[in-house]
This record gives sequence, structure tokens and C-alpha cells, in this order.
Amino acid sequence: MSPLDRRQFVTRSAALLGAGGVGALSAGGAPAAASAPASPVEALEARADAAAVANLAAAVPFDGPHQAGILTPRQAQATVLALDSIAPDQLTLREALQQLTLRARELAQGGANPLLEIDDPPADSGILGPVNAPDGLTVTIGLGSSLFDDRYGLARQRPRQLITMPNFAHDALDPTRSHGDVLVQVCAHQRDTVVHTVRELVRTVRGTLQQRWALDGFQSADRGPSARSSRRNLFAFRDGTANPDVTDAALMKQLVWVGSGGGEPAWTAGGTYLVARAIRMHVEFWDRVGLQEQQTMIGRARDSGAPLGGTEEFEDPRYDLDPTGRRIALDAHIRLANPRTTATAEQRILRRGYNYHRGFDQAGALDQGLMFMAFNQDPARQFATIQDRLAAEPMVDYITPVGGGYFFVPPGTGGPNGWIGSGLFASA
Amino acid sequence: MAAAALAAVLGIVALAALGVGGGSGGATHSFAAPRKLTPLQAYSEQSAIRAGAAGVDGARPAPDLVPLPASAFNRPFAVSRSYDARQLAVLVPELATLRAALKRDDRAAAEAAWQTAWARYLRLGGVYGEFGALDQQIDGTPGVLPGGTHDPSFSGFHRLEMGLWTGAPLASLLGWEARLSVDVYRLRRFVGHVPLDPLDYSARAHEILEDAQRDLLSGTAVPWSGAGVVGTAAGLDATEEVLGTLRGLLDGREDAIEVVDTWLVRLRATLDSIRRAHGGVWPANARLTQLQAEQLDGTLGGALEALEAIPGALETTLPPPIPPLPAPRPST
Repeated sequence: MSPLDRRQFVTRSAALLGAGGVGALSAGGAPAAASAPASPVEALEARADAAAVANLAAAVPFDGPHQAGILTPRQAQATVLALDSIAPDQLTLREALQQLTLRARELAQGGANPLLEIDDPPADSGILGPVNAPDGLTVTIGLGSSLFDDRYGLARQRPRQLITMPNFAHDALDPTRSHGDVLVQVCAHQRDTVVHTVRELVRTVRGTLQQRWALDGFQSADRGPSARSSRRNLFAFRDGTANPDVTDAALMKQLVWVGSGGGEPAWTAGGTYLVARAIRMHVEFWDRVGLQEQQTMIGRARDSGAPLGGTEEFEDPRYDLDPTGRRIALDAHIRLANPRTTATAEQRILRRGYNYHRGFDQAGALDQGLMFMAFNQDPARQFATIQDRLAAEPMVDYITPVGGGYFFVPPGTGGPNGWIGSGLFASA
Repeated sequence: MAAAALAAVLGIVALAALGVGGGSGGATHSFAAPRKLTPLQAYSEQSAIRAGAAGVDGARPAPDLVPLPASAFNRPFAVSRSYDARQLAVLVPELATLRAALKRDDRAAAEAAWQTAWARYLRLGGVYGEFGALDQQIDGTPGVLPGGTHDPSFSGFHRLEMGLWTGAPLASLLGWEARLSVDVYRLRRFVGHVPLDPLDYSARAHEILEDAQRDLLSGTAVPWSGAGVVGTAAGLDATEEVLGTLRGLLDGREDAIEVVDTWLVRLRATLDSIRRAHGGVWPANARLTQLQAEQLDGTLGGALEALEAIPGALETTLPPPIPPLPAPRPST
């Protein structure tokens, strides 16, 4: 699932978009790439232009042993959409999930929309034009524990760890923004691609899978200093520094993918558990806190992202040399979240969250936060253990988890004829 | 970089021309007197200092980290504890009024009595962070409990609120009222010697109203009654009480207290005018007109921007230096 080489993207764009589209795009990109940038601002401009050309034509393979959108480097834009099934029977549900895969695959691959009779409604809304550029689109499908209740005869196939997300300490979960039968994570580089995809997917399953809640997210731009530097969350701190390396297949097998055996139903192998949490961040309150207190709560320097006392983001915080918390407080976020001991190594999770902004609340306060998205092999061993530790962090005053849920993300399609969730129905 | 520095300097010149340089306002106290700047002034000053220029009134500001002795808080704590004891003494008959309304099955009177009693409890704002489990029993919200509103340990004011505003038979609430009264009785024995910490206490001066904005005016903590406006008014009372005990320490130490006073007067006037406009009763959040909501939210926001300076002005210790990490090694 390694991202395609950028040059390859541009080649693809020629085939996909036609000469006009490519000409228009490379007018902005090529000169910036050719000449050396004269200032930091121009360097940023060149970087952005080159990225824009590459991204619109980039396709992430939909099919594979695992679903896309898990190890895929985070695209800039996302929508997380939870749906409830109103299907009268298992067959209807099964067909809806099959259609969901087929449409998601088409959109991820991109291509020209079919032309139908002029008096028919168009098959595609067309808001991206006559050709849907893939734009790095991934559609990741998950199943909630409620789908395994007594409605569809799937109870015996329930993934062993799939429960309704519990209320953790300090949670204020709104039922209308939590849980759901099916979860769809849509990610792409451009907002319009995400909006188009959501619109096409809900149309595909209309009458069978009905929207329950949704949340739009965005990633902070790449503002350096290096391409590896973690992006900032809305508390202004770099987020994701300690994420496990997605290119380390053995590590992913240990932390992310469900293996065969271990009491899990056979169809779940190659899948993973998604913990989705809409975490409201009380940003005005945060902005009224001294920088030192902010940094003490997190355990890192805000600007560089370095652990306190260090100089570089990816430095090891060396808790072993700081047993009393003189350098990094014992209840600092990074220390509780990942104590970096041998015993806690197997608790690590793969975070892939997005910032969100959804206007104001009833008190006129900005409704901003984090759409926390974490993939893990066993939420009880991993996410829930970490979350219980975080109950003691001082940062809890500044955040309120308000929604989300636990979902099982089935394995990938395995090939162009497969569909997400087929294994569940094959064994049901 | 040169352009940024120039812009910052120009900003300072513009501010100086507007006469907002701000003196240190009669600083006769023995403590150093850092200044309270508006957010725009603070931003300009920080930009200028970063660029190597001077602060808004022409000189680099002295660092404002000038610790107070912890003993300076002894008197504020004593005053605060006796205030809280008096508030709890008044809460007892207010709960009796609620009990009587429940017994005679008068929902309107019970709702009004609930509001009065709950607002009384909120006036203990200076210390309620120190009540621990007892505070959860008295004023806890169900969201944090594993069973939510069905959790057997969901009790206190918000359990009564749920029953009152969702049409539960009033007689069924008598048990919850009795339990609340017992918890308040236990608190009365405890409140006179509740442990207080200078840093936490001065943070309360800022954070009582932060809580009002985050939990009450948003409706989060009062989903059934929507009683955020009366809760904010009670939070204002509590804030003024805490600030009153700290006034001697703040006087001359910062302009902050003057700015805060101005905003709290405005906030009081806004709350009063809203109450008058609703015929002398506190309206539920949802009954505020858009203009009233904007006035209240905006004035509260302005007050909070001023209050943020209070905890920093009252530090009792200098932050210890952070030891450097040993020779960096790349993490894996």
C-alpha cells in the first residue's frame, strides 16, 4: 500500500484527465518545480503547487488484503459517516454492503462518468465534472456492534472484541453522535472529492443504510520544517509523533491487524478495530492558559514538538532517566498515553485523526476538536488501557469526548471481484 | 524577517499613537507590577520582542513571574471558608422549600426552588473543586457514569433536574431530595477545613466562569432545565467572592484587577438586563433572544479574556528549570 511515486501520478493524470486538464494543471506546477525557490514563502508555494498537481490524479489502490485508508498516509480532508441499517432482512443488507464496495471502488479508481439518456437523472451527481479524478480517495468501511444484534442473524459472527464503545471517565457521549451499524471513513486530498464521495455513497445505499451522524475533518497543512514533521492539532501541538511505523509489516501485524485464531471468527483475519472519538476541544479556554502550563500538560514543546528538555520532535523522551517527572510531568499527556516501557509496547495504537470545526455551540463558543481515529488489533488491550490511564491527565479539563464508537473494519477485498464484508456473509 | 520586524514596530507606533501604551497604574505595592495588555497589544509586544524590538511602551517589560509567599493566602482562605459555610447554611432551608413543593405536588414551585438551591451551591465556586466524590454526588452529571442517567450513583441536583423537567411524578423525587440533603449535611461538616492550594485557588478566580461557559451556557451540564443563565449569574457571584479575598494581593500588582472589575460590572449589568427583560425570572438558555445570547456570550468572553491574567499574577513559586535531555538519540 505504499503511495505511488509522484511522477507516476502525473503520468496517470495525462491518461485520465486528457490534454486540457493536464495542461491547465502543469501551468501552475512545472515552473515552480524547475526554478530554485528564493524565500521560505516561495519554497512553501512551490511545494504546494507540486503537491496539487500530483494529488488530484493520485489513485490509492482500493483492493488488497487490507482496506485502504488505514496505513495510507493521511489525506488532507475527511468525512466520517455513521449509518444505521433499515434493511428488512439479511439479503437486503448484504446487497447494500456489496453495492457500497462497488461504488467506492469506482470512485477511488476515478474515470469518466457514463452518459445516459438526456431525460434521465445523471448516474453521477457530476459535481466533480464529467471525469472523477481519484484525488487520493480512500473509502474505509467498518461495522458496529449493533449490526450483530438479533436482526440479521449475524450474532455468532460478531468479532470477539466488538462492543458498544463504553463511557470512559470524563466522556459526555451524545447518543445522536455516537455508535451506528456501519461506519464509512472517506478521505481525499480535496474537500470537493470527499463531499462528492459521501453524496454518491449515501445515494447508493439509500433506503437501506440511513445516515446516523457525520463529522467533517481536515488535516493541518504541511508547514515543515521537514516532510516528516507531525501536523498540528487545534491545541497547536504536533500530534502523532509517536505513531508506530506503518511501513513495518511485522509491527502492523503485532499492533493493527487481527490474526487468525485467538478466538476471533475466521472471517475477521486481516481486519482491524477502529476507535472513532469526536473529542471537543475547548479552544478558547486553552488559549487562555499560559504556554508553560500547556507544555507541561502535553509534555512537549509546542513549536518544535520536542519532548520537554529536548530539541527535536522525534527525540526519545527518556522517561527512564526522569522517574520523578522533573522534566516531563508524570501526568503529562505523552507520558500517560505511551510510557514507552516494554510492558506497554503492545498497547500502542495507530492514530489517524483529523481536526474538525463545526461552527459554534449554544454558548457561542467555537465547536472545534479532534476526530480521533485509531486502528488497533484489540481495543481492550490497546485503546481502552491507554484511555483509562489518561483519566488522570490534567488536560481533561480542556476536552470533552462527545461522540464516536467502536467499529470492526473487515479485511480488504483481496481483489477486483471481492467486496468488503463478504467473509461475514459467507460464514453466516 | 525584516518586513515582519518593521510591521511589528509599525504596530507599536500605531498603538502608541492611540494612547494605549498603558502605565502601571498606581503601583505602590512592594511586589513588581507587570501590566495587563489587551490581546492585540500582547500580540504586538510578543512579535516585537521576538524581532528584537521593545515592548508597547518603549521598554522591554520586566518578567511578570514574581512569586508571592504562600502564607499570603492564609487570610483569603479563611475568609473563603467562612463564606462557604454561610452559603451552605442558607442552602439547608432552600432545600426544605424544594422538599415542601415536591410534597404538595407543585411543579412550578419545585422548579423554582431547585434553581434557587442549585445556584446557591454554585456560589461555592472557590472551593468546589476540592470536594471530590461528594461534589459528584451533589452536582455530578450523568455523562461520566458508566450507566449514564440510569446509573445508580447518578444523584444530586441533576438527578432532581431530570425528574423535574421530564415530568416525573414529584413524589418519586422526594428520595433524591433526601439523599441530597444528607450529602449537603456531610459537606457542611467538611467545608470549614477543606484543604486549599494557592495555585488552585487563584485559578478558580478564572475558571469558575470558564466552567459556566463550557458547561452551563452550552447546556451540556443542564440539559433538562437549560438553567445556564442563572448558573452564570451564580458563577459571577462566586468569582467576585474569590476575587474579593484576593484583592489585597492583586492591588497594584497588576492592572489586571482593574480590567477584570470593568468586565465583571458589564457582565453583571448584562445579566440583570436579561432578567428584567424576562419579567424578573432567569430565562432558560433556549429562551434568550439572539441579541441577548450574543450580549451574554460576548461579555462573558470578554470577562474571561481579562480573568486569564489572575492566576499568573498570583504565583507562589518560580517554575523550576527543565533539565535538558541527555545527548539526543533518534527514537525508533
